[in-house]
Amino acid sequence: MKKNNLYLLAFATMIFIFSCKKDNSPTPVTPKTTKGVYTLNQGLYGGNNTTLTYYDFTTQTPVTDYFRNVNGFGLGDTGSDFIIYGGKTYIVINNSGYVAVASTLNAAFLDTISFKNAGVNRGPENIVFGAGKVFVSSTDGTVAVIDTATLTIQKFIGVGSNPAQMTVSGNNVYVSNTGGFSAAYDSTVSVIDLNTLTETKKITVGINPGSITVDSSGNLYVVCTGNYGSVAPSLVKLSLTTNSIIKTVDSAYGTIRYYNNTLITTGGYLGAANVGILNVSDLAAVRPSFVLDGTIIQNPYGLDIDPATGDLYVGDAKDYVSSGQVYCFDKTGNKKFSFSVSPGINPIRTLLIQQ
Amino acid sequence: MPTRHFILLLAIVVQPGMVLFAQNKSDSAKALREVIVTGEKKQNPYTAIVPVQSLNHEALQQINAETIAGAAKYFSGVLIKDYGGIGGLKTISVRSLGGLNTGIVYDGISIADAQTGQVDLSKFSSTFVQSLELDQPNPQQIPLPARIYASASVLSFSSNTFNTTNFTKKKWLAGIDAGSFGLWQPYAGFYTPLNKNMVLSANAEATWAKGNYPYYIDNGMFSQKAIRSNSDIEAFQGELNLANRFADSSVLQTKLWGYSSERGLPGSIIFFNDIAVQRLQDNNIFVQSRYQKKFNPFTSLLLSAKYSYLYTKYTDPNFLNNAGGLDDRYKQQEIYGSAAVSHHMGNYFSFSLSADWASTHLTANINNFAAPTRTSLWDNFVLQFNKSHWQLNASILYTLISDKTEKGIAATEKNKFTPAFAAGYKSNPESPFLFRFFYKDVFRMPTFNDLYYTYNSNINPKLLPENANQFDAGITYSKSFKSALGLINISMDGYYNNIKDKIIAVPSQNLFIWTMENIGKVQIWGIDLNAQANGRFSPALKWSVRMAYTWQKAMDVTDPSSAEYKNEIPYTPEHSGSALAAFYYKLWTAGYSILFSGERYTLGENDPSNLLPGWNTQDLFLSRQVPFRDFSATIKGEVNNIFNERYDVVHYYPMPGRSYKLSIIINNL
Repeated sequence: MKKNNLYLLAFATMIFIFSCKKDNSPTPVTPKTTKGVYTLNQGLYGGNNTTLTYYDFTTQTPVTDYFRNVNGFGLGDTGSDFIIYGGKTYIVINNSGYVAVASTLNAAFLDTISFKNAGVNRGPENIVFGAGKVFVSSTDGTVAVIDTATLTIQKFIGVGSNPAQMTVSGNNVYVSNTGGFSAAYDSTVSVIDLNTLTETKKITVGINPGSITVDSSGNLYVVCTGNYGSVAPSLVKLSLTTNSIIKTVDSAYGTIRYYNNTLITTGGYLGAANVGILNVSDLAAVRPSFVLDGTIIQNPYGLDIDPATGDLYVGDAKDYVSSGQVYCFDKTGNKKFSFSVSPGINPIRTLLIQQ
Repeated sequence: MPTRHFILLLAIVVQPGMVLFAQNKSDSAKALREVIVTGEKKQNPYTAIVPVQSLNHEALQQINAETIAGAAKYFSGVLIKDYGGIGGLKTISVRSLGGLNTGIVYDGISIADAQTGQVDLSKFSSTFVQSLELDQPNPQQIPLPARIYASASVLSFSSNTFNTTNFTKKKWLAGIDAGSFGLWQPYAGFYTPLNKNMVLSANAEATWAKGNYPYYIDNGMFSQKAIRSNSDIEAFQGELNLANRFADSSVLQTKLWGYSSERGLPGSIIFFNDIAVQRLQDNNIFVQSRYQKKFNPFTSLLLSAKYSYLYTKYTDPNFLNNAGGLDDRYKQQEIYGSAAVSHHMGNYFSFSLSADWASTHLTANINNFAAPTRTSLWDNFVLQFNKSHWQLNASILYTLISDKTEKGIAATEKNKFTPAFAAGYKSNPESPFLFRFFYKDVFRMPTFNDLYYTYNSNINPKLLPENANQFDAGITYSKSFKSALGLINISMDGYYNNIKDKIIAVPSQNLFIWTMENIGKVQIWGIDLNAQANGRFSPALKWSVRMAYTWQKAMDVTDPSSAEYKNEIPYTPEHSGSALAAFYYKLWTAGYSILFSGERYTLGENDPSNLLPGWNTQDLFLSRQVPFRDFSATIKGEVNNIFNERYDVVHYYPMPGRSYKLSIIINNL
């Protein structure tokens, strides 16, 4: 090699070194999709940092911002919920006002479903499926029905104020109406008929209903958050055959999930930051904590159960502004594994990847 | 406690009278009348025993700064949180202590906002500002109102109309600025003696800007070029000043100031959602008076009073509540009074006592709003020692703050003594070097928003004040020459600050419900470097240069087990600075300025994914004076951000790229 070429090489190397900034976007890693989980990390409001983590059971490694790695763009701002249904993953991005649809196995982007009403964000929040349709509740008081073949919104069903969460039981979708954007909270659960796709009734449950779930014997459980003042939070159990309240207990819970005659809970805004387990008959704690092996979770945020195995996935939001962690416990309350979703913030939901 | 305060206040008001009474009658009123009273006694920034930075009127006109927010960016240690465009909110944080620890003082009296705790600096036009000054931790001259001592640093500005040295000449000024993105800014002012001892001045300015500058959304296949929308502003401000000089040479200065604006809040860029319709309306008015009297060469009195009214209206027609949108209106009123006295004793000692009182009331059209009233008392004692090599200032501030609410729980009463100390040393009076040191302990009260904000937050009445300690050691060099280099000033200060009980919003169980808690601890190490030089190459060609550089390491030391531990706090670049150069040739002036910031993180957990790249903006201007018989005109052209740098100061709030401005000013100054 001539001397000049060496100089040139040295010069080129120097240019390369000097032009290297701190790595802003990690080099794309696209692992083969095998059986694993996706975790949706909400990010911070206004931060455009909603991310999807892929955790591979075989390699036992998490890849955060998997969606961006695969598709080359970020999901947007404040992801609030997602489902895996019919080979597709539907990700609800609340502050960006749309639902991203991706192929489940490889997270490849398929389409966007916009939630704008004359340009104004409807505030899509929660998503469920039933009777071949996908339902999305939005802050503007609607539940959208999505046609899964065309990925378009078939119709909007008017419900109560600022609906939050939904659950499906029998022939109905139950929607908790918070009214959280107004001074006077809502206190109802809307019932949507899956055949007629209309709201058939509203059941009064208590001030500011939020997390909602059903058991296998026709009962509905609703967390009523109260008004952060004079009305304390409560947990309400209703019979869906009579649409009447069976039991109300004064307890603060955040999210509730049903599994095998128990309710798994996270602490509410007044409650302790732990994962609890309640007996569905009297809504009393089965034991002080669901977790038996002493695993410490700073701030349980996401809560999901694999109905087949009873495995519980807990998203730890830590201090809500830094990287979260996901813990998987078996149904007896012992940790199976955990993974970091760094730099993902506020892991709100973890779902098994399955067709 | 208030009784004790009242006695102190009484003592201050009455005591100088007693001193005067005790004075020898030979200190005749005639002699007193000869005392020259100047509006503001300026310290030389490079000979002060605490770090002082200032920009005079000339420099303010040379930089691209419509408001004092733009000008304060040129100071070292300063971060202006700029949300972009002329209408964007701009707040100041000095030495990483946060926006709520900086006092803002206009013509000697504090401007406060108890609701947010920080003043939006974009409300104050720089057109008529005579000088802008940043004091760390506070000005050292006496007497001063006690409230000025209650901040970690003080940004003060003064209007030229308050300078009472010249009572004779009628002056006027009028001009218009036109610039990119729909900027129109006409202004006019005058200054006229009403009689031998009374001066009236008035000025007014209007600002219209569309703020529709282009920016780029960077998000893979959804990337796009866009134009900033809902970023327009319409603002009017004006003031009326009256200065009276009495037979005993005492001076009474009264200012009536008003500001009214209506602006769009463009919000942060949200991927896939570009609608912004929030609007903000501000109507502010204040009237303030200052009375200064020198009883004799040793004893001075300063009385200050102020009434201020702040009306804020925030609307969001797209907010999804039952009322079909948000229309929040806040009214804040404050009555403030201060009495301060200083006295020289013997050859070396001086002392000063000041006592201030303020009552602030906030109302809102919001359901169940607490409608708090805050009564604040500040008592300050300063002792100064001044002897050849040494200058020592020690002070202690007592603060008592109590809140009452019409609804809900009020915060518990807080009171505290906080000390400060400053020292300067010169080996001999002619030495170009000055060594200096200061220590200050200060706290900030939780704001009304911290305590009583009802939307989506839990009220925490147990919230404690946030404490900040500051240590600074520095050296300055100041020397004049008889050469092309006429004057050079250099200062270097190293500092260490620590914040305890930092007030942080913590979400409780979901992201929409927040509680304010005293959980933060921050350690800040830094170095500020300032240099200034001027001179002349030839009798016709003059030059001046100033530079500021800051090195800073601000670390979160709250919780060793957290991911943020020993990470840099958000938006704190390690390196930042500015430079400004101007050349004067006959009737021409040309200038160049640069602002730069190194990379910084947007989140407390420093991760490459939230690293915001560094930036620099460079501006050029050229102006020419055109003299006429009775007045002169100045025509100035500017190219700002000449390299069209695309950058965010606050993430997802894009700043304008290259822009142009043309100004025509006529005056008889």
